[in-house]
Amino acid sequence: MNNWKRLKGALLLGAVFFIAAFLVKPIGVSTQFSVAAGIIHSALDPDVIQPDETRETGYRSTNAYYDKSDGKLAKAIKNPLNYDFIFVLAIPFGALAGYLLDKHRKRKTEANTTFNTDINVPDNVSAVKVPFVRNYLPAFIGGFLLLFGARMADGCTSGHMFSGIMQGSVSGFIFAAAVFLAAIPVARYVGRYIAERKVG
Amino acid sequence: MTILSAVALGGLFGFALYKSGASDPKKLLAALRLEDLTLMKTILFGIGFASILLSLSSLIGLFDISHLSIKTTNLGVIIGGLIFGIGFGAAGTCPGTCVAATGSDGIKKAISAVTGGLLGAFTFSLSYGWFNNLGLFDAMNLGKLTLFNLSESFPSVINLGFDGLLIMGVLLSAAAYMLPDRLVKAQYAEQSQKH
Repeated sequence: MNNWKRLKGALLLGAVFFIAAFLVKPIGVSTQFSVAAGIIHSALDPDVIQPDETRETGYRSTNAYYDKSDGKLAKAIKNPLNYDFIFVLAIPFGALAGYLLDKHRKRKTEANTTFNTDINVPDNVSAVKVPFVRNYLPAFIGGFLLLFGARMADGCTSGHMFSGIMQGSVSGFIFAAAVFLAAIPVARYVGRYIAERKVG
Repeated sequence: MTILSAVALGGLFGFALYKSGASDPKKLLAALRLEDLTLMKTILFGIGFASILLSLSSLIGLFDISHLSIKTTNLGVIIGGLIFGIGFGAAGTCPGTCVAATGSDGIKKAISAVTGGLLGAFTFSLSYGWFNNLGLFDAMNLGKLTLFNLSESFPSVINLGFDGLLIMGVLLSAAAYMLPDRLVKAQYAEQSQKH
């Protein structure tokens, strides 16, 4: 069994969450989606965030969310070269390093077809016949719900569940309970739906 | 310096997400279907281990308590968590892992999820005022509540301080170790793999 590999993964993940909190602050990801979307938003509509000298952050916004906590998000949007944003931008590079160093990569990649929808397609049906929308829409909608929910809850799996529970935060436990209450039936239903369509 | 540590820690985080298998939607979905809890056990053990490190380093006086960051408990956490769960169960990814997956395998779908996420976050930014006026974030507001009194900045439930957090970390790790590998027989997944 690959128990040792599993344990190594757990120890590595736990250590990274601890080291980040020890050196800088607990890890969080989802806020940076608001920042990235806000950068695009304020580029298209320059009036949405304005400098405001009277505030500690130096910014105010007509958008209530960017304006929240004295314009904290407005400041992050206007100054994206900060710790939190760069942290998230660096994530894919670390994952890429792990991917390139992975000896078992080939086998894993073959078995790793994300949403099962495309395994189903017979070889003689060309890619043109697979609707682009059917291939990528589930991931897109999933991503939409994830971030809409995470921003409403003020955190995601990293911030609430991992960093939160690690610190014994009550919000982390409540978030985890709500997430699994919804995710388990959805995953089971979606899995069954895909499997039945494949068999039938 | 700040930027350098962000690059190093963010990179390390992405590396750990890949190495632990968390960036693989297939493993996440198998866990959520309760057919293969391996990944959940890994993550739960990791959380417990992080709590143990955090409490031990605090008990010997090395940890800077001002680094703690506790989020507010309110109705938004519950409703947001339920919405998050629907996306989590449907896509088998979460905000951190889909960003990590843009650098490893399943890139196109990861980019779809990230794009959907940007739009989801933006939609929330636009609707925040409405939800706020509705009282979503005031309802059931318990403040930045922690289980144990780690710092005077946060209200707490139990007066055990970092000793309590240490016990919690040990219990979480033990629970992760003792959890079975699966709760449900993976009949559908096995069928689909034969194709």
